[in-house]
Amino acid sequence: MTAPMTPVRSSPVAQALVARKAQWAPYRGMPCAVSVSAEDARHSAAVGVCDVSGLERCGLKGSGAAAWLEAQGVRVPAGANEWVALPGGGIVARLARTEFLIEDGPSGTEVRRVRPLIRAGIDGVTPVLRQDCALVLTGERVPELLVQTCNVDFSGVPADGPGLTLTQMVGVSVTVIRRELNGEPALRLWCDFTSGPYLWETLVGIAEELGGGAVGVAAAWPELHAATGT
Amino acid sequence: MSARLPPVDGEWIDRTRTLSFQFEGRAFSGYAGDVPSSALWASGVHVLGRSFKYHRPRGLLSLANHDVNALMQSGQRFNLRADVEALEEGMALAAVNTVGGVEADRLRIFDRLSRFLPVGFYYKAFHRPKALAAYWERVFRKVTGLGRIDFETPHIRTPKRYDFADVLVVGAGPSGLRAALAAAEAGAKVVLVDENARIGGSLGYQRGASDAGWKELQALEARLRAMPNVSIRSSTLAAGWYADHWVPLVDPVRMTKLRAGAVVVAQGAFEQPAVFRNNDLPGVMLASAAQRLIYRYAVKPMHTAVVLTANADGYRAALDLSANGVSVACVVDLRAKGESDELADRVKHHGIRVLPGHCVWEAEGQADRLSGVVVCPLNDQGQPDTSRPVKIAADGLLMSVGWAPAAALLYQSGCRMKYDDLTHQFVPVELAPGMFAAGRVNGVHDLQGRLADGARAGALAARHCGFSVPEPAAVARGPASVSHPYPIVDHPGGKNFVDFDEDLQVKDFLNAAQEGFDNIELMKRYSTVGMGPSQGKHSNMSAIRILARIVGKSPGEVGSTTARPFFHPVPMSHLAGRGFHPHRETPMHSRHVGLGAAWMQAGVWLRPEYYAAPGKRKAELVREEVRAVRSGVGLIDVGTLGKLEVYGPDAAEFLERIYTGKFSTLKVGMTRYAAMLDESAVVIDDGVVARLSDQHFYFTTTTTGSTNIYRELQRWNAQWGLKVGLVNTTGSFAAVNLAGPKSREVLAGLTSLDLSNEAFPYLALREGDVAGVPARLMRVGFVGEIGYEIHVPAEYGAHLWDTLMAAGEAFGIRPFGVEAQRVLRLEKGHIIIGQDTDGLTAPDEVGLEWAVKMEKPFFVGKRSVEIVRRRGPRHKLVGFEVDAAGARTAPKECHLVIRNGAIVGRVTSIVDSETLGRVVGLAFVAPDMTAEGTPLLIRVDGGAMVQARVVKTPFYDPDSARQKAPT
Amino acid sequence: MKLLNCPVNGSRPVSEFAYGGEVRAMPPADCTDPQWADYVFHRSGIPGVKVEWWYHIASGTWFYAERDVSLDRILRTWLPGESPEGEIR
Repeated sequence: MTAPMTPVRSSPVAQALVARKAQWAPYRGMPCAVSVSAEDARHSAAVGVCDVSGLERCGLKGSGAAAWLEAQGVRVPAGANEWVALPGGGIVARLARTEFLIEDGPSGTEVRRVRPLIRAGIDGVTPVLRQDCALVLTGERVPELLVQTCNVDFSGVPADGPGLTLTQMVGVSVTVIRRELNGEPALRLWCDFTSGPYLWETLVGIAEELGGGAVGVAAAWPELHAATGT
Repeated sequence: MSARLPPVDGEWIDRTRTLSFQFEGRAFSGYAGDVPSSALWASGVHVLGRSFKYHRPRGLLSLANHDVNALMQSGQRFNLRADVEALEEGMALAAVNTVGGVEADRLRIFDRLSRFLPVGFYYKAFHRPKALAAYWERVFRKVTGLGRIDFETPHIRTPKRYDFADVLVVGAGPSGLRAALAAAEAGAKVVLVDENARIGGSLGYQRGASDAGWKELQALEARLRAMPNVSIRSSTLAAGWYADHWVPLVDPVRMTKLRAGAVVVAQGAFEQPAVFRNNDLPGVMLASAAQRLIYRYAVKPMHTAVVLTANADGYRAALDLSANGVSVACVVDLRAKGESDELADRVKHHGIRVLPGHCVWEAEGQADRLSGVVVCPLNDQGQPDTSRPVKIAADGLLMSVGWAPAAALLYQSGCRMKYDDLTHQFVPVELAPGMFAAGRVNGVHDLQGRLADGARAGALAARHCGFSVPEPAAVARGPASVSHPYPIVDHPGGKNFVDFDEDLQVKDFLNAAQEGFDNIELMKRYSTVGMGPSQGKHSNMSAIRILARIVGKSPGEVGSTTARPFFHPVPMSHLAGRGFHPHRETPMHSRHVGLGAAWMQAGVWLRPEYYAAPGKRKAELVREEVRAVRSGVGLIDVGTLGKLEVYGPDAAEFLERIYTGKFSTLKVGMTRYAAMLDESAVVIDDGVVARLSDQHFYFTTTTTGSTNIYRELQRWNAQWGLKVGLVNTTGSFAAVNLAGPKSREVLAGLTSLDLSNEAFPYLALREGDVAGVPARLMRVGFVGEIGYEIHVPAEYGAHLWDTLMAAGEAFGIRPFGVEAQRVLRLEKGHIIIGQDTDGLTAPDEVGLEWAVKMEKPFFVGKRSVEIVRRRGPRHKLVGFEVDAAGARTAPKECHLVIRNGAIVGRVTSIVDSETLGRVVGLAFVAPDMTAEGTPLLIRVDGGAMVQARVVKTPFYDPDSARQKAPT
Repeated sequence: MKLLNCPVNGSRPVSEFAYGGEVRAMPPADCTDPQWADYVFHRSGIPGVKVEWWYHIASGTWFYAERDVSLDRILRTWLPGESPEGEIR
């Protein structure tokens, strides 16, 4: 028998959100936490920690990666550790010098176009399977959360600037960018799938001490909320 | 009888808020802003504690965080420093070092016995006779130690935080305030810290009966508070200096780890006590302590005072006393000529007698309080002329004879200091890059000089951080004679204390030197000078001066002891912040939780050791899990394996350099075992290499090895420059091993792949769909049954697990953990790197000769293998079986193999195998003991010998028929 | 905590890095056994300026750092295959 299989994607922090009795809506094959509690709006204004692992992404690296991406019509950040925006809320991030992470925004389609083209055998291009734990941090007390978790000074980094930081947060290697969501400064974080639960629990724990907590996408990223149901 | 003064400009107390508290069972009151010492002194309490060794009554000394004889306990909080700790409503305070209360302390008898308690007493008591060491230990334990721990104290963790600044200014006295201002005006982001409850330092209390300094403070503070780039933090201690200007800032709530671009140390100086007989009587205090009492807490320090001095500061203190209602009986000046400028005239104008060229020979007490001071003239040699003593009645004696720089942070940063003969103090001569010193710590003592020196250091610090400011001018040190070179008077009666923490007298230093401890570091350890809670803040300088005189050297030649962090004690709860101990969870973690996994740690991972069930013990459950795999089907999460990919034209070449085996010959769609050596030919890792295409390999490492091995592979290729791309996909793939005779049937329903033995043989790799998900499948044989390792993108891990478990239900599928896997592999004789090998194991010693391809031109460790092979193996890993008679006391891992009374090996793995019906294991044995049937003697717990014999591996299914081609 | 300048990611606290030991050339395959053993087992404890391997964990970057080990002072850092800027000391 071959069962009719509709594979379900799971977020690395799905279980933590289940435990918090989050409200769910599907987003491109992954259940996405739309809201976590009735306090989402208040938490989000203080420090909200929001899971957006369901966004689609792909990766590649190598000496030929930048040229290859350009040849595919993808705009590439000019310098190491920089990012550029994609239509639909996505990003193209240059990690260190020659590695790239492409993540579609809520309504983006670039990853779906490019991902199938990345394969073995392209000169100077190494495919990188991206299975990130991806988070959004919102709220006015994010700087306080940062100084409790990360030994890099983000205070001088402009929101929505092109800068990207590869560093460690609570002992976990992370990629950090600052960008505006809903016209407010926010922080985007990516880490390894299997470090996600630890990073999540630690950040949510600190956020709760600061008057915030885990929040759903309805509060943290309304565009993503609007794109759920797919 | 309150000694509280009328309101004083700038006082720290809030008279509108009265606080009630207890001390030693008696009720008292003070004001918000008081410290226990000030509130008690205001209430007429002058014995605040007992000294550590002789239990002498002690009062106020510094009010500057080194009054270590006034340590108090309040409930669960102990060793509170009564001279700096904020008074709180309801505190129930008691002195820590008494038996029977501070007034009637029964251990005060030690003061009478002091001649039987010489320097080095502890060491000597323990030294001889040896038989009494245990007795002395009991005695010492009873009478030493400060404070009582309440084991019910809650576990407190305070989150730490990081912070960043261009310029950190430590100390908010005149030089620090000006430094902060100068750096901030240059545009730097400035953090200004001061350990006191309020900023201002000596501007607030060293007034000399003038409000000029206090006005200056208000003006400076107003300017600083208006600057957005200045953060002023009082009650904040810069506890130490660490590399590249990393400074822990300790405040009452937490520790902040601040990274600065430059640091200005403007911590000032510690006023130093004069040393004379009975200089510890309550009522004898540093001049600065009396000034703090007056101007911070509005407490009158005494009624009648004698001021012992050797500098202008003492004259200013006399004026402060006089201005606040204290009758100053006289100023005793150690200097032959006294103070000659207008300050002396001002003092005399107040009707205060000045005795230049005199010293205090001894202090006298009554009822634990100073009652009089005996003064002598000094002769031409500077020695007291005791033939002409003058006794002056006084209940207070101020000491103002010199300063020692608060240079701990400078020392910690590697600053070179020298003894300055002008100011008679150590001053910095070569500062570490980015470190700046200003004010008293820099040997600049007059107020205008300190302000200028602060501005200079602040500007330089800003310049160091890249802000453009003109190079400021240097500031001269001085004036001369702020510190007396030897404010120490020997006395035949002793009790002239150098170190108040440890009750060290002048003669203790003479004795220590006589016994050979005449180097400053040795003298410190032997006499314990500077080793008490104040860490030498009031004693090191005197100790250096005394030792210098004993050995006929200058203080500079004697040098000072090493200053280590922390500068003041830091509560453990501040250090016990939130701990960051990252762990990793596989994508199926929640499924194991749901199945009741018993967890074990494997490096940074948590893995199910076995799955618990009510009413069943671990051994039984593990046996059931093994049985499921041998007879049905089992499922284990192997997502913790390191999973790496290498792409590119040189991918095979790269793997051949890294591993011992051949991979250029590996066919696409096949896998091969791979062993990795380090450069000394020690086996460090193993795994499976799979070839996905000509230029694409996927390979696994051990669970604990993945991070380091990926890192080392990157490093090798940084040197080799091969055309390869390496990816660490450990966290991006979920992986399971579906194993057991029924595994093929379970899988068949979930994939469109042809699973027949012909289409997908043993050791083959296939890419295809499983449960609707793109997957990589490998037929592996680790557990000795037909099995499939299935790797899918991590986000599908939970889905894969659920689907396999559901599909396997009809076949009795059972999840199994690491323990069952260990049993299964041991039955097959497979080794685990790190369990059956150690940090010295060569491949030939564990039967991996076949995997080492010496015909290759190079692989990591090859050159060492050549050498090791010439030497021959030191021991060999063999399979063994325990003789049936011995099975009752089965050996354990690490039990030793004994031959002729000598150790010849050890057990590395052992299992009581239900499958085989016997106890089998792996052991290292001598190279001549490997023949099948060789008897082994294994020494087990308790020393009994168990008989075993060498048998061939695999123990189970020796031809591997089950994993290769089951029907 | 020390700072280290990663040639790609800039100045970071040393906790973001892993130390890889002194950079040492592997002797040729035809070296003597003692020469090889010296390479494998011996490390120089002589104070002074050394070139060391350091690894920035978050970005996976190996690089060289020239460090005066007696002063624990980093003089310069650069990537393998690139040349260090500036002169020694």
